[in-house]
Amino acid sequence: MSIRKEVTLSLVSRRPAGLFAAGLVAVLVAGLVAACGSGSTASPTVGAPTPLRVGLGYIPSVQFAQFYLADQAGYYREAGLEVTFENKSDPDLVTLVGQGVVDIGIADGTSLIPAVSQGIPVRYVATIYADFPSIVFAKASSGITGPADLKGRKLGIPGKYGSSWIMLQALLASVGLTPADLELVEFPKYGQDVAVREGVVDAATGFVNNEPVQLELSGEKVVVLTVDAITPLPGPGLITGEATLAGPKKAALKAFVAATLRAMKEIAADPLKGWDAAVAVVPELASDRETQLAVLNATVDAWQSSYTDANGWGAVDEGAWTESIDFMSGLPDSPVAKPVTVDQLVSKELLP
Amino acid sequence: MSLTQAQAPKAARARRLDPAPVLLGAVIFVVAWQALVWIGGYEPWLLPGPLVVGQRFVDAWLDGTIAPHATATLLEIVLGFTVGAGLALLVGMLLARSHFAERLLSPYLVAAQATPILAIAPLIALWFGTGLLSKVLICALIVFFPVAIATMVGIRSVDKRLVEMARAFRATRSQLVRQVEIPAALPAILGGMRVGVTLAVIGAIIGEWAGGERGLGVLINLARGSLFDTPLLFATLATIALIGIVLYLVVVAVERRMVGARG
Repeated sequence: MSIRKEVTLSLVSRRPAGLFAAGLVAVLVAGLVAACGSGSTASPTVGAPTPLRVGLGYIPSVQFAQFYLADQAGYYREAGLEVTFENKSDPDLVTLVGQGVVDIGIADGTSLIPAVSQGIPVRYVATIYADFPSIVFAKASSGITGPADLKGRKLGIPGKYGSSWIMLQALLASVGLTPADLELVEFPKYGQDVAVREGVVDAATGFVNNEPVQLELSGEKVVVLTVDAITPLPGPGLITGEATLAGPKKAALKAFVAATLRAMKEIAADPLKGWDAAVAVVPELASDRETQLAVLNATVDAWQSSYTDANGWGAVDEGAWTESIDFMSGLPDSPVAKPVTVDQLVSKELLP
Repeated sequence: MSLTQAQAPKAARARRLDPAPVLLGAVIFVVAWQALVWIGGYEPWLLPGPLVVGQRFVDAWLDGTIAPHATATLLEIVLGFTVGAGLALLVGMLLARSHFAERLLSPYLVAAQATPILAIAPLIALWFGTGLLSKVLICALIVFFPVAIATMVGIRSVDKRLVEMARAFRATRSQLVRQVEIPAALPAILGGMRVGVTLAVIGAIIGEWAGGERGLGVLINLARGSLFDTPLLFATLATIALIGIVLYLVVVAVERRMVGARG
């Protein structure tokens, strides 16, 4: 899944005394905003639908077809929900969910581990991507067939952060390599697909349902290196805040998860249902039907794994989470500030 | 008892250097911030108090988290400001002397200033890479406009009688510029530089957001998007603010040395 980050900052610097005054105003405003947003636990009126604010990824996309279908097919409405979608970047979404401003949303599992270690009260409640979607891809003509072949190669990456950075370190560690054994080229604005296509780099990190799909459609044979068999990192899934989970919206959240999983199953059986739902939300997708449909099919493939086949859609593999915590905690410059346990990260209360 | 003429400037200077108002402002700011955290009961991940941020600030400087990023950002600011302000001085003088040049260039200067640098920065990173050059260019771009306009206004505001007097003494064109126009326009030019140097700080951060491995903008992204370390985010913002304040005071000190205190 392509999750982009965008941040803005405005600095007001005049005279020193003016800066203090500006800072004071900023802190007061931040506090007021935080205070206004800290209580989204309105109890539903009997008979009235329960409003749910749902956070999706940074931009509307075919990758969120299951949410669009559940909404348009009336599954949320049938469950007594009034759902509002909001597109947010991953870091924003995690903190907004922790704060209770957004009730539930889809976020990277690898983001949750450092977030919870910093005290942000969020829980992973259902798996959406059963396979870890962040991968390394290369042209087949590059001669790269496994992680060991990356030694000494040029590899494109958005930056030394986030799920792709964690995945790359896991992939390299499996063959005794570290990022220092490669030449890393940073593409903060996600231009890795073009860089691989044009031969600027030998390989790049990407998402299994995005860059390699598009490269293959351009007629290039592609090699994809996945991390699932090496370190089962948790992929993007549904997260909610601890306070929201314990509050009056718990039943509504459970209904939301069930309706979303229902839509996922329907799309897996008939991807065109998901396609139609996505085009209804993002009409621009229709102008590139072949590519976007291929992206959707690759997305559906990533929703399922042997674990979810055995345990049901949305199932959370606690053993895999434990391995991920251990791996991420042991990394040099680990993003995990304080020890965390699976119980602090995961809740199965909302699964069907 | 009224002050004598000799005592008055000393008293004014003492008032300017008196740190009490600055300290008072800082104390009020910190107390209000801490009170807000206590009253709101905010967790550090949402709104850390000044004590938590202060501790993180010290720790991050001592363990080497901030220093390499701050050094990178400072270098970008200094180079970007030097390039941007230097070019702006030349162009500002040209605009002041030639109405044709002003009519020719002004629309482009204004358009460049009105276009959000946040939108241009990724393009600059695309064309010039994500190294030092692109950051220096972004800083220079953002510094250019205020300094160029201040220079143009400053030189056009030079007392015409001074210019006529210099000509009467048969001053050459070079002498006129160096010994009359620039000294007389310095207050306005340095006023533009006061604005420019704080904008240079913003330019460096935006340049780092467009790509790069080092810099306080990169650290903001790491603290916010990867580590979820809000106290580190605040400590980084405090470092940026401090750099801005110090650079601003450097320009003020230069201004006082070259043209004397204003009021």
